[in-house]
Amino acid sequence: MGILVNKDSKVIVQGMTGSEGAKHSRAMKEFGTQVVAGVTPGKGGQDFEGWPIYNSVAEAKEKHGANVSIIFVPPAGAADAVLEAAHAGMPLIVLITEGVPTVDMMRAVQEVKALDAESRAGGGEGIRLIGGNCPGLVTNGEAKVGIMPNRIYTNPGRIGLISRSGTLTYEAAKLLNDAGMGTSTTVGIGGDPVIGTTFADVLPMFEADPDTDAVVVIGEIGGADEEAAAEYIKNNMKKPVVAFISGRSAPAGKRMGHAGAIIMGDVGTPESKLAAFKAANVPVADTMPEIVELVKAALSK
Amino acid sequence: MKLHEYQGKEILRDFGVNVQEGKVAHTPEEVKAIAEEYGQPVVVKAQVHVGGRGKAGGVKFSPTADKALENGQNILGMDIKGLTVEKVLVTKAVDIDAGTEYYVGMIVDRNVQSYTLMASAEGGMEIEEVAAATPEKIIKHRVDPVTGLRPYEAREVAIKAGFKGNLNKIADMMVKMSKAALERDAVLVEINPLFVGADGIPLALDTKFEIDDNAMYRHQDVAHYRELSAEHPLEVEASEYGFAYVKLDDGNVGVLGNGAGIVMTTLDVVNRAGAKPANFLDIGGGAKADVVYNAVKLVSKDPDVKAIFINIFGGITRADEVAKGVIQALDEGILTKPVRMRIAGTAEDEAKALLNEKNSDLIKMYPTMFEAAEEAAKEANALGGK
Repeated sequence: MGILVNKDSKVIVQGMTGSEGAKHSRAMKEFGTQVVAGVTPGKGGQDFEGWPIYNSVAEAKEKHGANVSIIFVPPAGAADAVLEAAHAGMPLIVLITEGVPTVDMMRAVQEVKALDAESRAGGGEGIRLIGGNCPGLVTNGEAKVGIMPNRIYTNPGRIGLISRSGTLTYEAAKLLNDAGMGTSTTVGIGGDPVIGTTFADVLPMFEADPDTDAVVVIGEIGGADEEAAAEYIKNNMKKPVVAFISGRSAPAGKRMGHAGAIIMGDVGTPESKLAAFKAANVPVADTMPEIVELVKAALSK
Repeated sequence: MKLHEYQGKEILRDFGVNVQEGKVAHTPEEVKAIAEEYGQPVVVKAQVHVGGRGKAGGVKFSPTADKALENGQNILGMDIKGLTVEKVLVTKAVDIDAGTEYYVGMIVDRNVQSYTLMASAEGGMEIEEVAAATPEKIIKHRVDPVTGLRPYEAREVAIKAGFKGNLNKIADMMVKMSKAALERDAVLVEINPLFVGADGIPLALDTKFEIDDNAMYRHQDVAHYRELSAEHPLEVEASEYGFAYVKLDDGNVGVLGNGAGIVMTTLDVVNRAGAKPANFLDIGGGAKADVVYNAVKLVSKDPDVKAIFINIFGGITRADEVAKGVIQALDEGILTKPVRMRIAGTAEDEAKALLNEKNSDLIKMYPTMFEAAEEAAKEANALGGK
């Protein structure tokens, strides 16, 4: 089962006919994901490697009953692609694109939240955006809506994983996999300053998921999402959580690759994040392999 | 992209903000000519991309044109935190004691998923200092990214912050600042001090402005604001290759890897191993041999780098492409420093076979990033650096 995506998810790909979109559509299919169609405005009616292409998300959604959209549209059009999917009523939108202007994301996230509230108020299932600048989602053994390498998801397990970083997600998933623990669902929330879904949004889903026993949170410097996660864990979570924080030696004021990974003044420091997790009784691994040890220890309690 | 004070002022002036008059000078003689033209006391201000210009002696009040010349002579060419002052802004001086200095600014705030407007009656000092000493004196307000700041909100914030003067005009300046932020994709904009004179009219005396790099494609009209001479030459070269690269101070281990998260963690393990990373370099996802070759070339050029640590966890990136790039740099004689690698993931075996076949003393591989970090640190520390 896991959270957010599973074997029943019907996925469309916005930007399927571009090089990244095409490559990852194939890889998702190989993983076992039900990729049902692609959307490329202007190419509607064409066939792409067996997938029908539509001009709009609304049309693809209606024809195939799609409930997830993954976006590979270039930065300048990415926020617009999100809005198109949200207005088409797509319940889950995954934005992979890196480099979207922050102002575009602010506006898109605000509008998606309003549409989400409207949908829920009308008894609908709501609309959720994951990302941008994220590797997407995997529910091990069921479906991948993202760009993670398929090979590291060979052993379905019971550990939930949430991360701001793509490559560290792979690293952690592989470590858990190699240690024989495996993951339930992996959620890459993205490395940008303004993102659709935060740690604190995902944690309640794992808390409620019968297929997840413990959660690993991989944070990094910048912002205060880890602090918000710690606050949620302290007040609401019964399942054990283990954390890791990347960029602990980064200097203040410098952007470490991710647009969101920057210490500004006293906001975003590793010290603040470590203190917050400590206050929530969440063990923080000093190294990636230590994550495995801490998860083992937490589960044996 | 960080802008100089005068560039930020140009943008704010375009949006109608009442900015203190000033002109840029490149020579002391130009400074003097501007001071003579104004015929009143001026302030000579170094234009460099670092904070604390004033404390470093880069901002000087000049009551006469001759004094302005002298200050220009002293400030131009001055070194402030490693950057040479190549130009100054000469502005008309105001009598600070005849008015009040306030602070207003807007910053991208992930916690509210929009901009947060900040206002404080403690103007003229760094907002970080105010935040540390008297956080209650900073009024914060989320700005709607669609509507921007509206006048009534600006007045409300100004009142809460205790601003005195012509409230409508002060609010109007804040609204214009918000327009500039949204339309010019600011990551950060500050007017500090926002000076309110005896007449109650607000005047922007100093500003900070930083544009979102991801949005530069739609601000090509101000692309010339970027000054390559004001940036580290290796950072300039890295940006030509499209790398996310940051030069780090006092380092001795060059670091490169695939993905921002993994590189950040690599910096952490180098520190733990007792050495200091000399740079952050993310080659990105799916890098081919030529990209890796360029990355190795760039890191090798850094005289601070005594050893190189390459940390690859191949997903989209193929490890054998990484190996090919490293081997090319070695074959061309560009790579002369010891390389310690941890190479895992897609095409790991092919990569190891290629590197083993090369059998170079300079390149060694380790199964984990910790062992590779230990070895890179050992090499770098033995060869010098801090």
